[in-house]
Amino acid sequence: MQASLIVDELKKQGVTHVVGVPDNGARTLFEALWAERGITVIGVTREGEAYAVASGLYVGGSLPVVIIQNTGFLETGDAFRGTAYNMGLPIVMLMGYRGFQTMEPGAERVDTAATFFEPTLKAWDIPYTLMSADDEVSEQISGAFQMAAQRSLPSAVLIIGTTT
Amino acid sequence: MLDKYDCLKKLAARRGSSDTVVTTMSVSMPWAELSVTPLDFASVDSAMGHGADFAYGIALAQPDRRVLCLNGDGSTLMCLGTLVTVTAEPAPNFTLIITENGTYEVTGNQPVPGAGRVDFEGMARAAGVKEVHTIETEADFDAKLDLHFTAPGPAVFVWRIERADEPVPKPSAPIKQRAHALRDALTS
Repeated sequence: MQASLIVDELKKQGVTHVVGVPDNGARTLFEALWAERGITVIGVTREGEAYAVASGLYVGGSLPVVIIQNTGFLETGDAFRGTAYNMGLPIVMLMGYRGFQTMEPGAERVDTAATFFEPTLKAWDIPYTLMSADDEVSEQISGAFQMAAQRSLPSAVLIIGTTT
Repeated sequence: MLDKYDCLKKLAARRGSSDTVVTTMSVSMPWAELSVTPLDFASVDSAMGHGADFAYGIALAQPDRRVLCLNGDGSTLMCLGTLVTVTAEPAPNFTLIITENGTYEVTGNQPVPGAGRVDFEGMARAAGVKEVHTIETEADFDAKLDLHFTAPGPAVFVWRIERADEPVPKPSAPIKQRAHALRDALTS
């Protein structure tokens, strides 16, 4: 997936801030965001902080998205629950799906970052879609914003593979 | 040592009408008795350790307002990385007050890790915060009260306070209702 397409869609949605932690899959996405003057990137030291900072931004009138990897997402439980979710904030998350391919039949090992991921999303009441190709970017991201707004709760787009 | 109740009274009296105040744990209920404005937010029934980063987000979104967060030492220790995060994209309007009494007050004053040994001012400076003040006496507090509202942020104030016996804070309304009310107040 081209990082520029994701950035363009975030701008189209009116995103003001990206809060998160870079990972291998989203390396080029973060590079594109750092080069984008219309969106401010707030790097955090741990993924749980991302939800608290993003919640403050939203309460203050900005429109943030959270970009983290599934490994970091699994660290965020109480921060997610106590801020974005309990506050009822429509915050969209883009999350790297590390280990997705290891769940295919015949894989040498299974990455628990992948196998724990979707069950956790469901347990935490986070609706999500998977995004793996350029022609899915606009529809999946705009759909996540619509879902978040309808429920006044966070929603997620899971990034399969790496951005280019 | 400072009496936190006296400090809070002075802070509330000095606070400007557009300033936003986020409180946590053992400060939330005493603050609510001193100040009732739509720009107060008790980070209660939320996520311990995530009051300061939440307040920092508000400060970024509302650069024309002073945003103060009163955070306990136990809460600060739960998310020390925030001291670094607030320096990466500085918010000149952000003030973090760490109320240091060495205990988890609302659960019965059990000691926090490193009580009496942790140097919050040193950690804030090492994280890159330039405006840091540790206050232990009433005279020093009075002298630095204005700085809480005027010092270029991110500014960190460490209040060395006496132990007290605040109960577990009870929120005035569900957090969703309070968060959306704060958003309305900040954006109207």
